[in-house]
Amino acid sequence: MAMSGVEIFKLLPKTNCKKCGFPTCLAFAMKLAQRQADISACPDVSEAAKATLGEASAPPIRGIKLGLGDKAAKMGEENVMFRHEKKFVNPCVIALNVADTDDVAARAKDVASSEIDRVGQKLRVDAISIEFKSGAAAQYEAAVKAAADNAPESAIILNCADAAVADAAAKAIAARKPMLYGADASNVDAMATVAKAHGLILGLKADGIEALIALVARAKAAGVEDIVLDPGAKNAREIVELNTQIRRSALKKGEKALGYPVLGNCVREDSMVEANIAAVAVAKYASIVLVSAVERWKNLALFTLRQNIYTDPQVPMQVPQKVYKIGEPSAEAPLMITTNFSLTYFIVAGEVENSKVPSRLAVMDCEGLSVLTAWAAGKFTANKIAQFVSEWEEFKEVANKELIIPGQVAILSGALEDKLPGWKITVGPREANGLPVFLKSRAA
Amino acid sequence: MAYTIPVENMSGKVQEMTLGTAGRAVAVGGGTTLPFHTFEGVKSHRPVIAIEIQDVPPADWPDEVRAQYDAVSGDAVTWAKHCQDTLKADAIALRLTGTHPDRENRSVEDAVATIKAVLDAIEVPLIILGSNHVEKDSKVLVAAAEAASGRNCVIGKAQEANYKTIVAAALAHNHKLIAMSELDINLAKQLNILITQMGFDTARVLTDPMCSALGYGLEYTYSVMERIRLAALAQNDATMQPPIIGDVGMYVWKIKEVSAAEADVPAWGALAERGVAWESVTATALSMAGANMLIMRHPKAVDAVRKTLDELC
Amino acid sequence: MIIIGEKLSVIAKRVRLAMEARDKGPIQEIAERQFREGAAIIDANIGPAEDGGEDLMQWMVTTIQEKVHAPVCLDTTNVAALEAGLKVHNNQWGKALLNSTSNDPERFPVLELAAKYNCDVIGLTVGKGGLPADAEERAGIAAEIMARAMEYGVPLESIYLDPLVLQIATTQDQAVKVIETIRMFQDLNDPPMKTVVGLSNISNGCPKALRPILNKYYFLMLAEAGLTAAIADAAEMAEAMHEKALIDEVMAGKTLDDPKKMAEIVKTIDVIMNKTLYAHSYLEM
Repeated sequence: MAMSGVEIFKLLPKTNCKKCGFPTCLAFAMKLAQRQADISACPDVSEAAKATLGEASAPPIRGIKLGLGDKAAKMGEENVMFRHEKKFVNPCVIALNVADTDDVAARAKDVASSEIDRVGQKLRVDAISIEFKSGAAAQYEAAVKAAADNAPESAIILNCADAAVADAAAKAIAARKPMLYGADASNVDAMATVAKAHGLILGLKADGIEALIALVARAKAAGVEDIVLDPGAKNAREIVELNTQIRRSALKKGEKALGYPVLGNCVREDSMVEANIAAVAVAKYASIVLVSAVERWKNLALFTLRQNIYTDPQVPMQVPQKVYKIGEPSAEAPLMITTNFSLTYFIVAGEVENSKVPSRLAVMDCEGLSVLTAWAAGKFTANKIAQFVSEWEEFKEVANKELIIPGQVAILSGALEDKLPGWKITVGPREANGLPVFLKSRAA
Repeated sequence: MAYTIPVENMSGKVQEMTLGTAGRAVAVGGGTTLPFHTFEGVKSHRPVIAIEIQDVPPADWPDEVRAQYDAVSGDAVTWAKHCQDTLKADAIALRLTGTHPDRENRSVEDAVATIKAVLDAIEVPLIILGSNHVEKDSKVLVAAAEAASGRNCVIGKAQEANYKTIVAAALAHNHKLIAMSELDINLAKQLNILITQMGFDTARVLTDPMCSALGYGLEYTYSVMERIRLAALAQNDATMQPPIIGDVGMYVWKIKEVSAAEADVPAWGALAERGVAWESVTATALSMAGANMLIMRHPKAVDAVRKTLDELC
Repeated sequence: MIIIGEKLSVIAKRVRLAMEARDKGPIQEIAERQFREGAAIIDANIGPAEDGGEDLMQWMVTTIQEKVHAPVCLDTTNVAALEAGLKVHNNQWGKALLNSTSNDPERFPVLELAAKYNCDVIGLTVGKGGLPADAEERAGIAAEIMARAMEYGVPLESIYLDPLVLQIATTQDQAVKVIETIRMFQDLNDPPMKTVVGLSNISNGCPKALRPILNKYYFLMLAEAGLTAAIADAAEMAEAMHEKALIDEVMAGKTLDDPKKMAEIVKTIDVIMNKTLYAHSYLEM
């Protein structure tokens, strides 16, 4: 089980030589404890210590990278059962499954063009999975190449239960390091050989967890280290139960055979139902969520859900600094200012919308802190607000130089008036739900 | 070696309650496990979906969902019948939006008339919701409780600022009660304590921790619900054992993502499906977190969630 | 145990008005009272104080030390104000204490001041990436602050590590983690690192009557874990020390004669240990 930073520190040379890149052995030990560093960085640690640390530092759920380059996705490394305990580490991968009998090139283009921006993050369908359905090896290889060519930055999954066909396909796109999925009780040894030969991730499919554990043992015996588990959930309830059991076993029972990322097959005929089953998998521990259609509306919903579930509860979600327009504000419309904690923004913006008074809402980067906290931490101060207002371009289009500040920081109004000559400072309501009355009474 | 399922038996439970009367009564909550964990205890009742209607036509709802009811929403009774008979709703939520002072400012008497008319027309359980104006609600919901006496309805929502009169009325007329707080588990507990201190049994309360739409704070609602469920089961905290309700439709159908035309935001795809996906995924996600009851608007979203629940239950 | 008297804070209206008017009376009255109640150091919290902070801090330090012969804890995010305060601080009764540095680069100059003026400094174990989730994360940040201190020439013995006490009413799970953290911090060096907390944060947002109860028992649990210092209400802490024997008995499984007191202790410890969900009426349950 995991060692604490102090325990690890006892095994280090304590010379503070800085060769590891950290200023002290203690700081390095703390990073090792958090799995944010590797023991190999220390040139002077003893072999015995290395062995002890290597063992202790393996995460309970193996970290595996899917794909290559900037758009590669890390899977695994999870530590908790509930997102409120600590952030879920690696947002799940969304993968589109297409049969080699479909128009693979077109589907691959869908995946390649799926990227959108939301709240400052780039979100996309991460992978394309090509399923061997035709029965013809040449067709499969052609399909795989078409996918690789038309989705040049996406991760590739070879969904193929025929080891020979998989081998040929893997060779054809070797440079893309595809994941090999479709190993089951009937072919695991042959598939493991292919995976080992090409250095690929191996996806194991079984009917239930006990059968899965047996497959893991065979894969490991063949020398495969990077494994993804599909426990064969037949419905959404099994997705919930099996994924929960696997994660509990890995985290709480030290079950190494289950310490791997999990794939949730959410493919359904009805695309809206598929979206909801995928939502179940996103919430319940799937590292790869497999779907059969990636319409833009569905992507948007699943990307957003993924973003929400994987948000760090300790780090507030932030909206980008900007002067937001609510409704169609004229140059004389009211101008309010608040911090960029996303919940603050959504609540304030919502109340402004409810008021039906077109307005501008200036959102200042305060590292995601709410109004009072940001003030106390020195981030939402008269100086900083004045600087924002004087220097940020979007304020120039505001004809009515009146700034409405949150009632919670009324104390700043005097200082702000001094620092923003030509601006009138008005104190708004203390709570957002006072905004509709406040704005409407001004408009009257 | 045989695999042992890592079962976690918890000492607590979720309260079970029945809504409505006679043949169409509906069971909510119950169970001794985290959502859908049938492998380690007694399972809860399938989450119940209540379809929302209003006492005034929903002129302010986005087109995509409003249009679904244009033929029937001119009158609360036709609307209610449509939900029960055509949409096969297990329950109906009547939101008295028209009573809000900033809206039509309908009177208490108007509201009572609507409630009585709807109750005469339907047999499925009825949830009666105020307009979320704290002062007006305390008057309207008291009268509502009386008007609905004998029908074992749900009266909502009681909040910290107005719970006393509403609780008293729900108690006097033998209804269930929705207790709402704002995304704060400790305040949710406190409100439930205050309610029980008035002699109102927690077995008749539904906890509403305040819903948030997907992308607009969903994770806050999600985690508060999970934590409530854990307190109920793992800590056997009786004040946290009421079933949980998610008022989904109201929060989803006011955001940009359910009304922006595809022409304006091509990256967001088709509007019709987008709205349905938004509401259904919000509801499904909250079912994962522990919602035992969901209030929803769009018939297709209801349909998608039903199919998902078919797989889950 | 070192008590740092917390009452001279810009958040308190009477104090804020006295600061604005440069009225010595209330400041000295409060400082003296805290000193009598057992405060060994007096905290002077002038807030962010962007304008005139230097002048204000100097006035606070000299005003306090005119009547109270104790060191001052200089409490502000305004670095220039901290330096101004250090320049006039009378060190004959002990070193000044800077409140605070952290892992946020904006707060690094505070460490530089500690080196330059050879005073003590509070190191808050928080950085720019959001609040720390648990004891391990706080210890990780502490190690970085300690490394930086060594780099700047601040002796580790001059640092008081502050694990950041959060309100129990909204972040209950952190209360017990902070107790763990205090234990962990001591292990980070030999001799053990000094520790400090802003104690009253634990009961921020709670009903007035509950605040002393939560403050006292939390303080005793932290003291048991080896806490060196606390920024707190000195009178409350004196009262807490009287009740230490009671809490020890309850922790040892004994029953107290006074059932009401026993219930108060048991329920409060349950809430601090995250065994029962906090609600404002938790004592009535």
